[in-house]
Amino acid sequence: MEENELIDKLRKEIIQQLNLEDVKPEDIDPDSALFGEGLGLDSIDALEIIVLLEKNYGIKIEDPKQGKTIFASIRILAKYILANQKAQ
Amino acid sequence: MSTYISGIGCISPQKTIDNSVFPAEAVNQNALFLQCIQPESYRDYINPILSRRLSKIIKMGITSALISIKDAGISNPGAIITGTGLGCVEDTEKFLMTMLDNNETLMNPTNFMQSTYNTISSQIAIILKCFNYNSTYVHRGFSFESALTDAIDLMQSTVAESALVGGIDEITENHFNVTSLLGHWRTKPQNNLELFEHKQKGTLPGEGSVFFTLTRNKQASTYCELKGIKTVYKPATMDVVAGSICALLAENKLTAHNIDLIITGMNGDQQGDAVYDEICQTMFDTKAVAGFKNLCGEYHTASAFGLWLAANILKWQEVPKISIYKGFRPNTIQNILLHNHVEGKQHSIMLLSKV
Repeated sequence: MEENELIDKLRKEIIQQLNLEDVKPEDIDPDSALFGEGLGLDSIDALEIIVLLEKNYGIKIEDPKQGKTIFASIRILAKYILANQKAQ
Repeated sequence: MSTYISGIGCISPQKTIDNSVFPAEAVNQNALFLQCIQPESYRDYINPILSRRLSKIIKMGITSALISIKDAGISNPGAIITGTGLGCVEDTEKFLMTMLDNNETLMNPTNFMQSTYNTISSQIAIILKCFNYNSTYVHRGFSFESALTDAIDLMQSTVAESALVGGIDEITENHFNVTSLLGHWRTKPQNNLELFEHKQKGTLPGEGSVFFTLTRNKQASTYCELKGIKTVYKPATMDVVAGSICALLAENKLTAHNIDLIITGMNGDQQGDAVYDEICQTMFDTKAVAGFKNLCGEYHTASAFGLWLAANILKWQEVPKISIYKGFRPNTIQNILLHNHVEGKQHSIMLLSKV
């Protein structure tokens, strides 16, 4: 899967998993911060994304502290998934 | 010391959300189970960023609680006490199904955290920034009664000037299908407004969220005085229930003669309704009898809806035509006795008076 294709898929999955009722996929800038100022997600959302990664992509994040780097933006998350899926 | 109902918030299978209308036009859902009529938008009550995570029962609980304290003109209740028979069923089902689907390896944190019984009481406290006493009772058919008793005790012992007390339960399709195996429910869709007319085996399940703001002092918004409550568990005979009713009346220097209206928890189930008939015939033969489960269905905390009906009847001095089961509406309604039982095991009796 190409990076841009994965970004589009992730946008939809995150909206569904986190029940972001008023957010459309195109509203999520792939380079904006997911947490804090960007989408305004919080620690519970981070746990939900960890579950999403394991369930949909078979990627297990053993150390939750990694999340801070991996979840910085949708693009960084997509790159991480592609790199780790290839590694597997 | 007196206890007054001074604010109410009610989300039910009827149009009860607007406190300025009573009685509203009765709604027939013609279904296997009754579901609550939701507010047009929860955005009017709950911040959308918070509400996106909340399941239906939590939104209903928070909203009815906020309506209740607003009705009473109180911003920080002295206690928040909730009664629920089953808690957050939808969240519980979601996280259990996810675990099953994923061989018990993955669990959605949101559904797991919010599946606990005390989620509603705590979410209300978080929104109100209320750090006062907070508790949740989960005792099947006595859940709401336990919450109410605790609130009355707190207020009478002067720990709290006011208390927000709620009874809340939800029904889901899965829960209906599982509990149908017990044989408690009707097997075909039913006109709920005709529930009392066709008595047979089983009843209609329902759901609801009703919050009351209790105050120690009478105020402009007060609906009625809550004179007392008694509970009877698994009575050997109906004489035991009758004895408790007599004791409650005597404690308030009243007799059966002073009761203007009996509101019962009859639900159309032949066996269960015979209990109410026996009590009414032996103690209140000439009195008007009303019911409320044709409006809300049967659930563990349905007595909270019964209390909502009683409080509104006393405030508006109006008995909805659809609620009258026997007799004629009295001209003045000073005292109401509310009797509810769940499966013949948990009986509760409440006494309310006009202010």
